[in-house]
Amino acid sequence: MVLDLNKCLGCQTCTIACKKLWNRDAGTAYAYWNSVETQPGEGYPRRWEETGGRTATGEVKRGEVPGIDEGYGRAWTFNHQQVRTEIGSGVRKPWLRPDAPPTWGPNWDEDHGAGEHPGTNHYFYLPRLCNHCTHPACLDACPRRAISKRGEDGIVLVDQDRCHGYRFCVEACPYKKVFFDPERGVATKCIFCLPRIEEGVAPACARQCPGRLRFVGYLDDPEGPIWKLVERWKVALPLHPEYGLGPNVFYVPPVGPVAFDGAGRLVEDEPRIPDALLERLFGPRVHEALRVVRDERARRRRGEASELMDLLIAYDWNASFRLPTGTREVL
Amino acid sequence: MTTRTSLVLSAAPPALSPGGYVARAYADHVTPTTAQAELATSSEAGTWTIALSWHAPRAVRALDGDPARFVDAAALLVPATEAAQAMTMGTPADPVEGVLWRADAERPLRIAARGWGTVERQAAPPQWTAEARWKDGFWYVTFRLGGWTVLDRFRRLAVAVWQGAARERAGLKSVTPQWIRLS
Repeated sequence: MVLDLNKCLGCQTCTIACKKLWNRDAGTAYAYWNSVETQPGEGYPRRWEETGGRTATGEVKRGEVPGIDEGYGRAWTFNHQQVRTEIGSGVRKPWLRPDAPPTWGPNWDEDHGAGEHPGTNHYFYLPRLCNHCTHPACLDACPRRAISKRGEDGIVLVDQDRCHGYRFCVEACPYKKVFFDPERGVATKCIFCLPRIEEGVAPACARQCPGRLRFVGYLDDPEGPIWKLVERWKVALPLHPEYGLGPNVFYVPPVGPVAFDGAGRLVEDEPRIPDALLERLFGPRVHEALRVVRDERARRRRGEASELMDLLIAYDWNASFRLPTGTREVL
Repeated sequence: MTTRTSLVLSAAPPALSPGGYVARAYADHVTPTTAQAELATSSEAGTWTIALSWHAPRAVRALDGDPARFVDAAALLVPATEAAQAMTMGTPADPVEGVLWRADAERPLRIAARGWGTVERQAAPPQWTAEARWKDGFWYVTFRLGGWTVLDRFRRLAVAVWQGAARERAGLKSVTPQWIRLS
């Protein structure tokens, strides 16, 4: 999958599409297989970037299992019943409110960003899901061999019949995209909408995205959008490549606005999103990727043809999804 | 007659854990969290009563919806063949059987293994029970196990203890490295 961060609205439609489809039992109330976080920010779970992964020499680092209160945040509950019973009953119209004051949760730091308004303030949205890594830490971590990576499409799956809920997978994944269901005592994670993929239909997060920022296909398909964006144009980059897991979700980095000076004038050669932030997330290749996107944008503005811009604009949305159809044997 | 034994426990070696992660990330897990346990065994009319106690300064009885919480647990392991080894959790040719008590479960589980990472769990037979209480920093767990033929036959067992407060689970545990012979 490739996600063009220049088009993400932070609307969380992908988050909800995933959650409504897959996370409907009590033990996954806190879990978001797909989430959208504001960068810079603490993310979800909180400070997920600070532990795990491999060293430069490939040595595994011991990670952590985030706690529910300080890491993920408990799923909030609301006074829905009170609102339902009191509305229209003649008493004062009730407000919908959380049952307890929330202190932390997914998307808690939405739009906070960093910098000073109006000169250098900046943020962008980073949708995240399981990266279905080429060398998954979760798979290595499981002593039960309950995690597998499908040969035909690279989807990483948990066999919940084998899983004993040890949570080494949760702590080993530096992206913190394996979750634990404390009700059922098993690990849960993004399955890349496997039943849809098997029918040639893109995952729900991608199909529901109103910004059309997600592309789905195979990295080795030279006719597909993924190969074009990752290999041909080299504008789509993995998140934290230094973790060393070979993530297979790629991002077109955000071309941020330019900064203002103290008098409110644009400073054309100074990006408002600091280079260091983008380099930290996407590695040193981010600068070349941004240069290519800027160049192709300029080309399009001049009225010249740009395959890259046509692809990223998604004139033909169906071209964003290139999957073999109907591969599953329907019984 | 009840036989009482003081057990010296070791940290199970993480190097035996399958997969690439636990063995490396927990290579320093060499000191047992639970260094000692007390065992009392007796057998009458085909039912074994096995009482196990150990020091657990902080009891963890439930997950309380927290993915980072691990509950206390203990297991008794028994060879299913003459040659089965406790430390390896058996092998494909020489399996082991056991009973697992978890602080958050009402009933014990019957387990079987053919090597590390192969444990299979199932509901224990009705004649198996585990009663537990925690008092003054100690867990006291009493198993009553009827009709366990391999225990009757081989009269050997091994013990494993997991302290949830120390985030122990799977191969992160304190164990008796050898079989304990029952009289």
